[in-house]
Amino acid sequence: MNHLRQILKDNLLSSFEDIKINIAEENRIIIECRKESIITVLSHLKSDGFNHLSLISCVDWINENTFELVYILTAYTEDPEKGGLNLLVKTKVVRDKPTLYTVINVFSNAEPFERELHELYGIHFSGHPRLTPLLLERSYEIPPFRKDFDTRQYVEDFFKQIPTIEEKKRTNERT
Amino acid sequence: MRELELYYGPQHLGMVGNFSITLGVEGDRIVKATSNPGFLHRGFEKLMEQRTWIQNFPLVCRINVVEPDHMELMYAMAVEKLAGIEVPERAQYIRSIYLELARVSSHLFGLWAYANMLGFDTVANWAMYHRDLVLDLFEELTGGRAYHIYIWPGGVRRDFPEGFKDKIVNTLHTIGSCVPDYDDTFFNNRVFEKRAKGIGKLTQKEAVEMGAVGQVLRATGMKRDIRKQEPYAAYDQVEFNVPTREDGDAYSRIWVVRDEMIESVHMIFKLLDQMPEGVAYNKVPNPFKWKIPKNEAYVRCESSRGELGLYLVSNDTDKPYRAHYRTPSFNHGLTILEKALVNESVSDVGNIMISLYITAPEIDR
Repeated sequence: MNHLRQILKDNLLSSFEDIKINIAEENRIIIECRKESIITVLSHLKSDGFNHLSLISCVDWINENTFELVYILTAYTEDPEKGGLNLLVKTKVVRDKPTLYTVINVFSNAEPFERELHELYGIHFSGHPRLTPLLLERSYEIPPFRKDFDTRQYVEDFFKQIPTIEEKKRTNERT
Repeated sequence: MRELELYYGPQHLGMVGNFSITLGVEGDRIVKATSNPGFLHRGFEKLMEQRTWIQNFPLVCRINVVEPDHMELMYAMAVEKLAGIEVPERAQYIRSIYLELARVSSHLFGLWAYANMLGFDTVANWAMYHRDLVLDLFEELTGGRAYHIYIWPGGVRRDFPEGFKDKIVNTLHTIGSCVPDYDDTFFNNRVFEKRAKGIGKLTQKEAVEMGAVGQVLRATGMKRDIRKQEPYAAYDQVEFNVPTREDGDAYSRIWVVRDEMIESVHMIFKLLDQMPEGVAYNKVPNPFKWKIPKNEAYVRCESSRGELGLYLVSNDTDKPYRAHYRTPSFNHGLTILEKALVNESVSDVGNIMISLYITAPEIDR
């Protein structure tokens, strides 16, 4: 596995300029790149054999004012050496107006992942065909998975407006 | 012919679980399908950020009703990786046995749903009864039937009680002795064959393109199993086969499930024979003062539905900073289902959906 990781590292470093590669542990390689080059890096890795997009995740680093997007790639192979590797491709976007290009053209199963992140973090993926609501009932000014989302304030804003049964009874008696 | 919009679920009789599909139909033929999840969204991943490392255990097992154990395992493995906790060898074996039992119980539940939907009520009742026998084992081992909270960072919560090995063997022999009955009434039944053959067909190329995992992928002929690729627990200590089929339709998917169940039973027997003596857990730090330095982990396992993963980030506090589950049904239900339903008949919607092994709680989380 050592050999394979080294080949992968050399290959990537020779193809891209602004890229940082960190072999974190035996089966986890972290690749950091700029947000503009995410599509080229992913399609390069896909042609290298890492053709399964496991997950697109996002971490809200509120103190650094950035969102860190994590694309996790693995391989569709029966070979245990390559199949055991997890590649974490990371990129950062500014928290205030987060926009990124969609990667649907590279991995078609990215569509629901990007929809989910759009809804829960408010990240806009330009070029995505349907950034419609996926899981939530209503939208709120701060998307719910951001760290500055205040759960109590949300409850105040939405559920305190609904009258209780006693209040309803009182208004019914008055009328 | 005029195109109509048909709402299929969550109240529709053919729908299993809280999930809905909007179908565009021309007569009996589907021209467009749109999945609508969100009926079960409980925000588990946000809740996990507000609870301590140990408090999260009762939470994670409730993410998916059908297979709580793999969710527990993922969280425990990620915490072990972040905090650098070792697991004793006996605990690894216990985990494997326990997870294979969970796989059998989950597959029997899936078989119940599938047989029930096709109208094979007898088979459905058998499957439910046999699942109950496995739940009895869980009850004795962990105290809970559906949710167990058994896997723990550093091992498992308690060792096997006395005589428990024999009970596992007896239960599995009871279930195994009924396999010919299942085959005669269901798997080799011509009615089932007629309903399932050629339905919801995927080629291997399409499956890879759309990110299929688990039975959906193995039914198209690819032998991909995380237990072989990135062995966890004691799966590297035991020999087992990965069953596959070639056709990629609903029929082959259910046959893969059947073969996998039998393989799991064989594997449990082997693991019980090889199981070493020793302790079942290592001590963890005081849970009330447990802080984990800034780090991240990605772990994955082969759940009964396919590749399950967890991305967990810690930030030097007593709570996780971010947790994100990668669930197999997310892609199966939102990408593959929409494509597999096109050009099929309305009467096969439930058939395709259950054969893809989609559970709504996994999509919504």
